[in-house]
Order: sequence, then C-alpha cells, then structure tokens
Amino acid sequence: MTRSRSPALLIAILLAPALVGLVVFRLYPIELAISDSFHNVLRGQQLFVGLDNYLALLTDSAFWNSLQVTLWFNLLINPIQIALALGLALLYVQQFKGVTFYRVLFLIPIGVSLPTAVIIWRIMLSQDGLVNGVIGMAGVPAQPWLTAESLALYSIIAIATWKGISYWMIFIIGGLQNISPEIYDAARIDGVKPWQRLVFITIPLLRPTLLFVLVADVSINFLLFAPIFMLTQGGPADSTNVLMYEAYKSGFVFGDMGRAMAIVVVVVAILLVIVGLQFKLLSGPKEAR
Amino acid sequence: MTDTARKLRNGVGLGARHLVYAAIAFVFVLPLWWAIVSSLRPNGEVFADIFPFTAKALLPTPFTLEAYAGVFERGFGMIIANTMLVALVTMVAGLVVNGAAGFAFAMFDFKGKRIILSLIIISFMLPFEAIALPLYTVTQQLGWLDNIAALIVPSVANGLAVFLFYQFFSQVPKDYAEAARLDGVSWINILLRIYVPLSMPTCISAALLLFIFQWEAFLWPLLAMPSQQFKVIQVGMAAFQQQYQTIWNQLFAVSVITALIPIALLLPLQRYYVQGLAGAGIKG
Repeated sequence: MTRSRSPALLIAILLAPALVGLVVFRLYPIELAISDSFHNVLRGQQLFVGLDNYLALLTDSAFWNSLQVTLWFNLLINPIQIALALGLALLYVQQFKGVTFYRVLFLIPIGVSLPTAVIIWRIMLSQDGLVNGVIGMAGVPAQPWLTAESLALYSIIAIATWKGISYWMIFIIGGLQNISPEIYDAARIDGVKPWQRLVFITIPLLRPTLLFVLVADVSINFLLFAPIFMLTQGGPADSTNVLMYEAYKSGFVFGDMGRAMAIVVVVVAILLVIVGLQFKLLSGPKEAR
Repeated sequence: MTDTARKLRNGVGLGARHLVYAAIAFVFVLPLWWAIVSSLRPNGEVFADIFPFTAKALLPTPFTLEAYAGVFERGFGMIIANTMLVALVTMVAGLVVNGAAGFAFAMFDFKGKRIILSLIIISFMLPFEAIALPLYTVTQQLGWLDNIAALIVPSVANGLAVFLFYQFFSQVPKDYAEAARLDGVSWINILLRIYVPLSMPTCISAALLLFIFQWEAFLWPLLAMPSQQFKVIQVGMAAFQQQYQTIWNQLFAVSVITALIPIALLLPLQRYYVQGLAGAGIKG
C-alpha cells in the first residue's frame, strides 16, 4: 500500500535538528566527562592518566568532606520536602469555600527562580532581617543564619524547601485527585481511622506520583548549585561545600578539569544508584503484575 | 437546637480552617511580599520597624520608586532584554525542532526508532546541571564561549519537549492523516494544518518549559559567558548581589522584576506547565 511507505528523506529532515542537538549537547558531554576524567586536563593539554584523578579523590579530605555534606544535605532535604509537600497537598485538596484562593498563593514560589529566592532570603536571614525580627517577638535572640557553621546548611535547606515544595505539592494534589472517592467512602463506612486511611490507602495509591516526585526532587537537590555559589561559596569552614560546588571550584577556580570531571562522574554515578534504588523500593510490589 | 449547634460548630470549624490555611499561605507569600514592600521603600528604611517587629514593616511606607529607577540606570533593562531574547528564540526554535521530531516519531516507523527514542528519554532523565561542566568543554571546542549561540543552541533540542509532542501526536487518530494523504495533501501540510492546531495545549506546555528553563538558567550562562559581556538575568542578579550588597531596596527591586515576569506567565497557564512537567512521569 502506498500510504504506509515511509518517506525516508522527510523523516531525516524532521528528526535531524533535535537528534543532532541532543547528541552534541546532552549525550556527547556525558561521554566527554567520562573521558576527561581519565586525563590530566591542565591549560589545554591532555595527558592520559588512567584512574589517577579518581585515586587522588580517595585520599582527598576536601572531596570526602563534600561527599559527606552532599549526602547529609540530601538525606535531610528530600524527606523534608516530600513530607511537607504531601502534608500540604492533603490539606489543600480538601474542598471548601475559598480554597482556590489559597492554592493561588501557594503557586507564588514556583514562579520565583532559585537565585531570586536566594537574594530575598539572604536579606530576610541577615542579622537585621525579617526572620530575626519575627523570632525576636518571641524573645529569641538574633541568629547568624548564613554565617554560622552550624546553621548555614540548614538555612539553605529552608530556602530550597520554600522554593521547592509548592512545585511538588501540585503533582501530589494531581495524584490525590486521581484516587477514587469511593475508596474513602468505603473506608469510612468500615470505620477506618484517618491515620490508617493515610498509611493504608492514600500513600500506597499515591505510589507512582510519590516515586516520580522523589526521583525528580533527589536529582534536583543532588545537583544544587546556585544557593551555594551565591550565599556561602561552600563555607563557613566547608560546611556547605557540596560536590557540585567542589567540582565547579576544581574546574573553574583551580583550572583542574580532570578532577572536576571525575567529581561530576562520581556525582552522576551516585545519583543513578539512588534513583535506581528508589525505583526498586517504591515500585517493587507493582512489578508483580 | 441541635441544628444551631451544628451550624455553630461548622462555622467555628471553617473559621479555624481558614486560620490554619492563612497562616501557611502567609509563610509562602511573606518573602515575596516583603521583597515588594522593601523595593518600594527608600534604602535606609528597608530594615525599619523590624526591631522590634511591627506590622508597619510589611507596608511600603514611605513609598518611593527610586529603587526601580536605580536598577534601570544600572542597565538592568538591557539584561532583561537579553534574557527575553534568549528565552523567546529558544522557545520558538524549540517548538519547531522538537515538534518536528515528535511528529516523525508519532507518524512513521523506521529503523532504530526504539533506540533513538530511548536515547531521547535518557537525555532528559539526567538534569541539565549534571552536564553543565562538560558542556563547557564542548562549547569551547565549538568556539562558542561568550557567544549568545552558547546560551541558545544547546537548549533548543529538549528531550522532554520531543517526548511531549510524540505522546500527543500518537494519540491523534491515524485516520486524519490517512484521509489527508489520500487527498494528496503533503506531510508538511498535514503537520501544519491538522496536527499543529490540534496540539495547542502541548505547544503551550512545551513553550512554557523552554521559556522558564532559560529564564531560570544560572549555572550554564555563568560558565558559557566568562567575560559577562552579555548578561542574562539570573547571573546578572547574582553579580548585582555581590557588587551592591548594601543597596537593599535595589536588590529587592531586581528580585521582584525577575520573579513577576514568570509569575505573570505561570498563574494563568500553570495547568499547562504542570502537564508538561508531569509528561516525564506519566509513563512510569
């Protein structure tokens, strides 16, 4: 039949720009990061050094520290963001007069880019800023939110969470709205308590949504850069020196691209392992079908 | 009697509910509100009424637009224009390039289709930040550092946008295209006359994704424009923050301008934006 003949030239023309773009600007850089990580790339010269860049990382305390900071940061921020987003979604999915108004207010942080949020929060968290003013009402003394080793990382978590959760909340609200209300009605008739409803009905049925949100959230937070660059430059005392910032410093402050790429490869490898684990843990029972 | 009691209880319940919701909404809105208010105050007044804290800290008194005037005197108009240019060109080129690819995947069967499709999915599973550093080397090899092409071209082809168009076009009944083919309509006309008008919601989703991506880009423009001759808004803001640390009201004015443009786009169109992002998760 004539209609099923595929016009090869047309296909090529339609596909070529997108494919060339994705290969050159997405896939080739991944390949390049891996190959550069086996080279000593200093001042334009390339010298094959095998695993040297990786071996050097093994005995490098700055690297180990930033690995630790990155893991700790992610161990805290991802559960916090998702728990808050889920809690807020459960609140805001309820129908009552005026709820739309609150939902619109909730959307505001989505439009505020992370660098913008960082600037606003930096001033809010400054010594004379609004946050210290508000806690001052309760008699709490002003805190050095961004300049104390013990607080800076947690301040960044707060900023990124403010910026991030409404985003995830929207997805979770979407997931909640897909759960048929009859299931809840049946549960109510059977006398299921609210918390049991959450643990045994809502969360299991929300699994695909939660998995998507968790994976996307982890990938974003694992590569978080702008707040570190703009607020703390990894300090004070390396307490906020995450791996992405360490990689940036190696490459663009110290000009050691080989080390930078080795760190990028390590970051991506850890990210892939975490994402793979999440898939296994959260989609496990569903695989049985 | 019990009826009134119930009404009263419902009324109190609704009131308590509004109180809780308003308190949470307050936390969400407060930073931007304070930024707007402070951008409308003289610089010396930004931290007034905070110690001790009074409600006056949340009102723009005394009111002045000097911060905005100052920001534009420092050339922020140019930076906004730069960013708009980058975002709009990326958006238009991205719609054409990714839409065409999505159409090809949806309409035709060809050798290697599955492999190419999985490559596209891989390319958007890994966040852009992960490849920003190696992308610098690619850009250097192309000789595009400090060239506006470095900001636009790498962001035009977008795996997620291809995937969105592919998903949408696959759902359009094949009969449409077949009938048109029998009438002798060319493929290009089928795409432009039938598929593009049908796909307006997908076009809006993809356009928003591409626009917001460029509007919020920070790490990449920071690396790709080492001389900072051509500054886009997020990088310009970060530099502004470092240079003029104490001109608080101008810092706020810059933040407000940067935030309000995407908010103005997202509030009416957020449904499409979320649909676009969720496209990545739908198949899971």
